[in-house]
Amino acid sequence: MCEGDSLFLLHQRPTSRRAKVKTVSQIEVSTAFKIDDVSFAVGDRRLLGPVSLELERSRVYGLIGHNGSGKTTLIKLLARQQAVTSGAITFAERPLERWGSRELARALAYLPQTTPAATGLTVRELAALGRYPWHGALGRFGAEDRQHVEEALKLTDMEGFADRLVDELSGGERQRAWLAMLVAQNAGVMLLDEPISALDIAHQVEVLGLVQELSRKRDLCVIIVLHDPNMAARYCDELIALKDGRLLTRGTPAEMMKSDVLKGIFGVEMGVFPHPVTGQPIGYVQ
Amino acid sequence: MADQAATMVPAGSTSHRLSFLGNLPLGALLLCAVLIAAATAATISNLTVQLPSALWVDALTAPDIDDMRQVLVHYAYLPRLAVSLLCGAALGLAGTVLQQVLRNPLAAPETVGVSAGAYLALALATLLAPSLLAYGREWVALAGALVAIAAVFGLSWHKGLSPLSVVLAGLVVSLYAGSIGAALIVLKHEWLAGLFIWGAGTLGQQDWTTTLWLIPRLGIAALAIGLMVRPLTLLGLDDEGARSLGVPLGVYRFAALGAAVALISFVVAAVGVIGFIGLAAAALARIGGARRFGQRLIMAPLIGAALLWAADQGVQLLTGSQGDLLPTGAITALLGAPLLLWLLPRLKLGSETPALTADRLPRALHPGLLLIGIAILLTAVLFFALFYGPGPAGWNFAFGDQLQSILSWRLPRVLAALSAGAMLALAGLMIQRLTGNPMASPEVLGVSAGAALGMIVALFVFVDASRPTQTIAATVGAFAALSVMLALGRRAAFAPERLLLAGIALTALFDALILILTATGDPRAMLLLNWFTGSTYGVDINAAILTAGLAAFLVVLTPLFLRWLDILPLGPTAAHGLGLNLTTTRLLILLMTAALTAASTLIVGPLTFIGLMAPHLARRLGLARAMPQAVGAVLAGALIMVAADWIGRTAIFPRQIPAGLVATLIGGPILMWLLRRR
Repeated sequence: MCEGDSLFLLHQRPTSRRAKVKTVSQIEVSTAFKIDDVSFAVGDRRLLGPVSLELERSRVYGLIGHNGSGKTTLIKLLARQQAVTSGAITFAERPLERWGSRELARALAYLPQTTPAATGLTVRELAALGRYPWHGALGRFGAEDRQHVEEALKLTDMEGFADRLVDELSGGERQRAWLAMLVAQNAGVMLLDEPISALDIAHQVEVLGLVQELSRKRDLCVIIVLHDPNMAARYCDELIALKDGRLLTRGTPAEMMKSDVLKGIFGVEMGVFPHPVTGQPIGYVQ
Repeated sequence: MADQAATMVPAGSTSHRLSFLGNLPLGALLLCAVLIAAATAATISNLTVQLPSALWVDALTAPDIDDMRQVLVHYAYLPRLAVSLLCGAALGLAGTVLQQVLRNPLAAPETVGVSAGAYLALALATLLAPSLLAYGREWVALAGALVAIAAVFGLSWHKGLSPLSVVLAGLVVSLYAGSIGAALIVLKHEWLAGLFIWGAGTLGQQDWTTTLWLIPRLGIAALAIGLMVRPLTLLGLDDEGARSLGVPLGVYRFAALGAAVALISFVVAAVGVIGFIGLAAAALARIGGARRFGQRLIMAPLIGAALLWAADQGVQLLTGSQGDLLPTGAITALLGAPLLLWLLPRLKLGSETPALTADRLPRALHPGLLLIGIAILLTAVLFFALFYGPGPAGWNFAFGDQLQSILSWRLPRVLAALSAGAMLALAGLMIQRLTGNPMASPEVLGVSAGAALGMIVALFVFVDASRPTQTIAATVGAFAALSVMLALGRRAAFAPERLLLAGIALTALFDALILILTATGDPRAMLLLNWFTGSTYGVDINAAILTAGLAAFLVVLTPLFLRWLDILPLGPTAAHGLGLNLTTTRLLILLMTAALTAASTLIVGPLTFIGLMAPHLARRLGLARAMPQAVGAVLAGALIMVAADWIGRTAIFPRQIPAGLVATLIGGPILMWLLRRR
C-alpha cells in the first residue's frame, strides 16, 4: 500500500486482522482527486467533459448546475461507478482504476441518487452493511464495527428507527437510513448525489450540517450534488458549477453567489440579497 | 432523480425529433425479414414437393377433390401453415403482455400455469373419463387451463395480483400440476404415451376447423390487448407511478393477464404446449430494439409467427409432409434458442424491465427458534425415513439385524435426498439473490439440462452405459453448459438479466433435444423419465457418501458468500459502492451455484421445485437476511426431499414414486398456504 492512499483510511484500528492497514498520518497529501481532462460519452453523445479539476481534503464541495449539466456523471466517475471515456482521474496520488474494490470503498463512500425501495432489511442492518469494506466477506463484525454503526445511527438521527424495516420508512427517512450506511462506512471521501432531495427543511439543514461537521472533524473531502444554490452556499466551502457537461466556474460561495454568475449557471435572471441575520448572500429568481 | 430523468428524457425526446426511421426497431425488423425469408423458402420447397406450382392457387381456393395432392395441400398443409402463424403470433403476444404485466423478462406462457393445467386435465381425462375426450380435446384442455389460472388468481388475489405474487403462484401451480401429470405418466405410461407428443406441441391438421376455431378467439383476445395498450404501458412503471397516473392497477392486471391467458389457453387447447416461443419472441423483439411497449406488441407477434412458421416448415423439410414424428415445439426451441444465444452478447439490452418491486414480507421475530423448529422436524423425518417403513408384514420399525440389512437399502437414498435437497435449496437461494429475480432457479443456469443431455447421449451412444459412465457423461455435459454460460456472460460482467436469458435459452435448447429423443418413443427414454423426475432409486452407498461429502464441503464454503448475498440485492450501484468487485463476486457465486446444482443433479436428476421454492419458503416464513434464509432454505429443502423420498418409497409400496415429484406434491401446498397467508 503506498503512502498517499492511507490518508483516506480513517480511524484504523491496530488489531492484527487489519494490521495491514496503516494508521492515518496527518495531512501529507492535500489533494484528494486530480481530474485531468476527463470526458464521458455514451455512444456519440458526450455527457461530460473535457473537465479538469483538483479537489482537496477537508473541504465540502457543492456541485451545482442545470439538469443534464453532468453533475451526476461526474460524481459517478469519481465513485468509479463508470469508467472515463478519456482522460484520467487520480485519487490520493494513485490512478483511480488501480485501487482495489474494497480498498477504494474504505477510502471513498458513494450515495447514489436512487436507492432500491425494498430490501427486507432493518435500518441497523442496512447501516451495518456499510462496514463490509472493513470486515470483508469473512471477517468478524466486531465491537468497533458495532460502535461505528451505532454512531452513524445517532449522527443521522435514526436511532429511533434502528429496528424498523427500511421498506416501511418514508422517503426522507429512507434517505437518512442510507446516509447512516455511508457514515458507518467511515471513508475519507464522501460522494453524495442529491442526499437531501427527499428531506424536509429541518432534516436538510441537519443532514448538511452533519456532513459539514464530519468533514471538519474527520478531515473528510465531501462532494455533494445539490440543486438549491442557497443550501450549497451555506454548507459548502466551495461551489463547482457545471454547464452542458463542462466546468463553467468554481469559487467560494461569496464569489459564486452573484446575480450574473448565477444567471450563467442556471440560465434564469437571478438576484442576490444579504441574509437578514447572517448577512450571507441569498439568491432568488427574479 | 432529476438528473437521471434528464439523461433519460432527451433519449426519448430526441427520437421524436429524429426521422421516423430512427424510431423503428430495425434489428427486430431485420430478424423478422430473415426468418420470413427462410420460412418462405422452406414453404416453397415443401409445397413444390407436394404439388406443381401451377395448381397452388387452385388448391387454396377450390381444390379438386379428385386430386389427392390438392386435397392434402388444402386440408393438411395449408391449415397447418395457418395454425403455425396464428399460434406463433398469439404466443409472442401473450409473452410480451405477461412480461410487461409481471415486470419480469423471464415471464412466459408457461409461467402462469396454464399449459401445465391443460396438460394435467388431458392426462386425467384420458385415464378417468375417456368419454370426455369425445366432446373435443380442446375443451378438456381449456377447462384444465381455466382451473389452473383460477388457482393462480386465487392465490395472488389478496395481494392485488402484484407481479411477484402472480409469478410465484403461477410457478407453484405450474410445477404442481406438472408433477401430478408426470406422476401419472410414471405410473400409467402405457396409457399416456400419446401425451408426450402433445406435450411437445404438434401442429398437424386434417382440415380448417382448428384454424377457424382459433381465428375469432385469438382475434378477440388480441383486440382486448390492443385496447389496453396505454394502461399496459404504464403498468411497466412501478406501482406508485402507474397508480398516480390514474391506472387502476388491479383491474388492468386482471384484464391483461386474462387476455394473455386466453391466448395461451386457446393455443394450448388447439395444438398442445409449444414452449419457449412466447419468451423468445418477446425477448428477441426487445433485443432487436423494440423499446416501447407498443412496438413490442407488434414486433413480438411478428417474430413469434415467423419463428414458428420457419420452425414448422423446417420440421416438414426434414421429415417430409407428415412431420409429426418431430414435435414442432421442440424444433422451435432448436431454432430460437441459438438465435437468442447468438444475439444476446451482441446487442444492448435496454433497461426496459424495471426491477421487481418486492412484496413487503413480514419478518420472523425469533428466526433462531424457527430454524431450530425446522431442524427438529428434519431430525424426526430422518428418523422415520431410516427406521420406519412398510415391509412384507406391514408397517414396522426396523431394529437389530433387520435394521442392518434394511439400512444398506435405505441409507444411500436418505443420504442422497438429504444432500440433494440441501444443495438445491442453497443453489436456488444464491441464484435468486444474485439475479434479484424470484423466478430464477438453479436449473436456469443450464447446468442441469447440460447434465441431462450428457446422460442421454451416454445412454444412446454406449450400448450398455454403466452408472459411472452416465455420471461422467453428465458431469461433462454440466461443465460444457457452464462454460457456454460463462463465455456468454463474461463480456457483460455477468449482468443478471443477460445471464438468465442465456441460461433459459440454453436450457430450452437442451430440453428440446431431450424432448425430441423422448418423443421418438425409444424405450431408453422411459428409463430416463425416472431420473428426470428426481428419483433416488438405484443410488448406491458410495455415490451417496460422495454426494453427502460434496454437499458438506460446499455448505462449509457458504459463509464466504453470505455477506455478498446480503449486499447484492441492494443493486449493483450500492454493491459497487460498498467495495464489491461485481464481476468476481458474480463469477464466484455462479461457480458455486453451478457446483451445487451439478452435484445434486447427478444424483437425483434435474429438479426444479426445491431450488426454486425452498428460498421462497424460507423467506415467506419470515427469514429475511441471507444467513437465516440460507439456513432455513437448506433445512427446508433437505426436509422436503427426505420426506418426499420416504413417502415416494412407501406410499404405494412395493411400487415407487420419484422423490422429486413427491417433493413438489407436498411442498406445493405448503407454499400455497404461505402465499395465501396475510
